[in-house]
Amino acid sequence: MMTLLKYEILRRWKWLAFRYIALIGLGVVFYNRAAATPMQYEIAAASMGKFFLISLIVFVIILVEGINMLKEDLFEQSGYLTFTLPKPGRSILFAKNFLLLIQLILWVIVSIQFGSMFLKFLPLEEMSQFMSEIDLNIYPAILFFLSAFFNFVLMVQFSLTLTRTLLYRNKYSGIISVGIFFLLAYLIEQFYYGLFLVRVQHIYSEIAGEIQVDLISAGYSSVVMNIILSVIFFTATAYLLERKINI
Amino acid sequence: MEHILKSSQLSKYFYQKKALQKVDINIEKGKIYGILGPNGGGKSTFLKLAAGLLKPSEGEILIDGKKPGVYTKSIVSYLPEGNYFYKWMRIQDALSFFGDFYADFDVEKARQNFDFMKLDEKEKISSLSKGMLGRLKLSLAMSRNASLFLLDEPLNGIDPISREKIITSILEAFNPKSTIIICSHLIVYIEKLLDYVFFLSEGQIILEGNVEDLRNKKNLSIDQLYQEVFQS
Repeated sequence: MMTLLKYEILRRWKWLAFRYIALIGLGVVFYNRAAATPMQYEIAAASMGKFFLISLIVFVIILVEGINMLKEDLFEQSGYLTFTLPKPGRSILFAKNFLLLIQLILWVIVSIQFGSMFLKFLPLEEMSQFMSEIDLNIYPAILFFLSAFFNFVLMVQFSLTLTRTLLYRNKYSGIISVGIFFLLAYLIEQFYYGLFLVRVQHIYSEIAGEIQVDLISAGYSSVVMNIILSVIFFTATAYLLERKINI
Repeated sequence: MEHILKSSQLSKYFYQKKALQKVDINIEKGKIYGILGPNGGGKSTFLKLAAGLLKPSEGEILIDGKKPGVYTKSIVSYLPEGNYFYKWMRIQDALSFFGDFYADFDVEKARQNFDFMKLDEKEKISSLSKGMLGRLKLSLAMSRNASLFLLDEPLNGIDPISREKIITSILEAFNPKSTIIICSHLIVYIEKLLDYVFFLSEGQIILEGNVEDLRNKKNLSIDQLYQEVFQS
């Protein structure tokens, strides 16, 4: 697994390094701009906004790359190298997604670090009032974000792999993958909100007499659901890669 | 008689196209086989099925008694057509890559092959000419002590000097414990290597036999026989 991870890093380390150096570099530039004009909250807020816009772009790049890491091997000749290695499908898939996790953790660390640095330039009283109003609990939020992110990526990876399994060199493979993805999203939504949560709420209301908890907004059920779905999609994709794929 | 590869009633369909139709092939250990036929005949499909890159539509293929999977990939050395290396790789990276993943890869043998093929380890693979790329692919594939070598069109697009080097390299690398299957339509160059041939056309075997027997029986070289079979 570590050897696979090593080559996944070697395959794209220049881009990896570039994007974090660029994010940190621009973060320092915007931070210095905010620091040079103390008490001017508009400039600080504008600098912070620009930094988070750059951060968002980097996030989108990480997401797209997470999908492309597998797509390249499925749809390009490099697949002949990757999928003739004496390694199980789960190891190949895990290495790619582990690199994605490392990238995501780095992105979260850099973004939170700069975010907290920028907060110092904003009016303290208003910020603390704002933070108490939104009642943001950072760790559950990160947990939800990570589980939703990987659920999304693994669902796309499954759609791509299923397309490659069912269809061989079809020029519409890309569109069909997108179609499979939306079909899965629709089915999950129907099951999750239509069957799963309604049933749970119904059971809860029977026990407690009345619905006191909004399970949807509570978020934890979503985290559990995301984790279950991620495990299902990972297992199914690894199985297809090893047993059913047509490259 | 030990078989390293056995296919029975092996078929592969791509939508309406029948790439392989009920193919029965038994490959013995310690010989060099040729699967010969025109483009689109099903040669590459057969090798991909053996390499585990495609799954049969019907029938089965067994390598060393097992269906293609992690084990068979550890004993099969597959050389596909085209440039399948990662874009960032230099020759030395490909050398490390093979060394890291294949327990049977002989780094020293690969370096000797590079010298023989006049390949510079520092060179970027994406900048190699087609001839040099062919030399590199063969150098790496033949540096494994694999039980089965699958060579898909190793001479396609290769200049005559490289072709000679590649054929010499195959002959030198071959040992009686291993088996080689070569798919090609450039018969004249590989004829001298082969022990046994299958002629494959439109997914079906239309002729097969021991090379010496076929030559004697038909009083033709394999290349002439190929011309006769596929031009008729």
